[in-house]
Amino acid sequence: MIEIKNLSGNLGEFHLHDINLKVNKGEYLTILGPTGAGKTVLIEYITGIYKPDKGIILVDGEDMTPLYPEERNIGYVPQDYALFPNLNVRKNIAYGLEARRMPKDQVNSIVTEMISRLKIEYIQHRMPLHLSGGEKQRVALGRALTTEPRLLLLDEPLSALDENLRTEMARELRRLQRDVNGIFIHVCHSFEEAADVSDRIAIMNDGMIIQTGTLQEILESPKNAFVARFVKSQNIFDAVSDGFNLKIGQTTFVQENSFKGKVKVAIRPENIAIVKNGNGKGKNIFPGKVRDVKFKPYFDEILVDVDFPLVVYSKSERHYTKGDNITIEIPPDNILSFDS
Amino acid sequence: MSGEKYSRKSFNAFFYSFAGFLFVYSAYLFLSNLDQLFVTDAAIKTREITSWGEDREILNQFAGGFWKDPYFWKSLNLTIVITLITTLIATIVGVPTAYALSRYRIPGKSVVDVLFSSLMVMPGSVIGICLIVMFNYGPLWDLQNFLGFKFAHSIFPGMVIASLVLSFAFGMSAWKATFDSVNPRFEQVARSLGSSRWRAFKTVTFPLAKSGIATGVILAWTRAMAEFSAVLFFCGTFRELPASRFSDFTKFLQMDQADWVSVAVWAQVEFGNIEYGFALAFVLVAIGGLSVYVMHRIGAKGYVW
Repeated sequence: MIEIKNLSGNLGEFHLHDINLKVNKGEYLTILGPTGAGKTVLIEYITGIYKPDKGIILVDGEDMTPLYPEERNIGYVPQDYALFPNLNVRKNIAYGLEARRMPKDQVNSIVTEMISRLKIEYIQHRMPLHLSGGEKQRVALGRALTTEPRLLLLDEPLSALDENLRTEMARELRRLQRDVNGIFIHVCHSFEEAADVSDRIAIMNDGMIIQTGTLQEILESPKNAFVARFVKSQNIFDAVSDGFNLKIGQTTFVQENSFKGKVKVAIRPENIAIVKNGNGKGKNIFPGKVRDVKFKPYFDEILVDVDFPLVVYSKSERHYTKGDNITIEIPPDNILSFDS
Repeated sequence: MSGEKYSRKSFNAFFYSFAGFLFVYSAYLFLSNLDQLFVTDAAIKTREITSWGEDREILNQFAGGFWKDPYFWKSLNLTIVITLITTLIATIVGVPTAYALSRYRIPGKSVVDVLFSSLMVMPGSVIGICLIVMFNYGPLWDLQNFLGFKFAHSIFPGMVIASLVLSFAFGMSAWKATFDSVNPRFEQVARSLGSSRWRAFKTVTFPLAKSGIATGVILAWTRAMAEFSAVLFFCGTFRELPASRFSDFTKFLQMDQADWVSVAVWAQVEFGNIEYGFALAFVLVAIGGLSVYVMHRIGAKGYVW
């Protein structure tokens, strides 16, 4: 288990504020945040590249903070994989074992096993310069895993790959993590990527962890408008609340909340229903006009004008077109409001 | 790829033609009778009157016989030995300094960077004057009094100091650029895999930086050997000094009554021995050309050993 307590640090351009995080054995956690949020810096603090100004990092109860990177046994796969260009694939994978002065035949057998596990026998004698993005990633993972690290840190491991390969490699990462039953901490800025691989997600912004939870928890109860926006709640508005109703522009929604005055409101597009034949019986039923339609593989993304623009997903067989009149229903439970 | 090969071939052809032309032309000028080319009988007579040593006439008889003069061999010996010492000091101090400047957050790093960069654009004469001022006043003057010998106008350590300044600055620029170009992530990953800082440097950074380090060493070597004004200003000439002014150690090393080669070129031309000056210049051209050739080979291959 890794536990980060009140970690703070200032590197000039980047800074971390009071980071608290706990990841259990066998858990895959993704740190998700926009560029410049401090995700990579957090990883660098965990590896020991930088010493924090405040706070501690505990791995299995042992304080890592005063230790050098070589004393921590924490695996690290950087964004560009950083394969040593002067060593071939086999030697790259063997590097950590040789650093531990392991006997040669033992190094050979571990490396051979790792190469076979990652299915990269065909490239084992190649130099890193002659590898594709996916191959590089496999080698970097192999190099980090041979030393059986206490946890593995992955800094945007899929960002350099094309979309098809990304899905495949995400699946492979997940398989590998279950295989070794280790702690994987994965940093990325793509919500889809995080959703693909994680047991839990930590949302980070401006050097702080904003929210930690499972995918479902974050989707259903984002802590604030930033988190809601980051997990693709496409409908985010300024509103005024009286505690029972929300007013967005001239439209009033029924939604009980604990705020009075200015609030932020988020409504996920998949939580807005299209009422057939205009016969809605619930609350928050509004007529609207289709302004734009985008056809996607499993649904249509419709921009509906209801006094203000709303993004709605339609999974029905009917395809709407620009100018159609439709009626939408937003159940009060599906409206999230946050302190402005 | 073929375009790259073609441009490499064209560059090689150009380089070898240019170097070959320089060499053949220099050799021709030197080996031909320079007296007839540049110096008229009248000028020789004038020179005999104005020259300041009893051996001038012997020297004037040289038309390709400079190797018979001990001054030439002593000067060459002096220059090569001091340049080797300078290069060694520049490398031992410069490589770790460049590494530190490239990798660590050091207060005042930009000031040091600017200082070394500005040294490179300064004429040697300015460096020489600065050294004279530095070593003749203040704490460095006190240090010399304490040690009991003067740095200025000496072979050791005067010439080493004078040739070291620019040699160090040029070497540093190459070494720092080399370390800057090696991604620090490699070392960070190596350390996360259990390597100590030293092992990470030895197994990852050094193999990637070695051709750049070697280029820096050659640059430091060539710059030290080509130094002129700083040595002339700080140390002067030694040829005409009486033998009693030199220590037994200097005599043992065959460096007494000898000059830094580039200073000797100037001195010989200044005193009218154009042939001798040219002979020495030719030796410098040959050494410089060879060094640049080695540097080019290292740069072209991307590795040294």
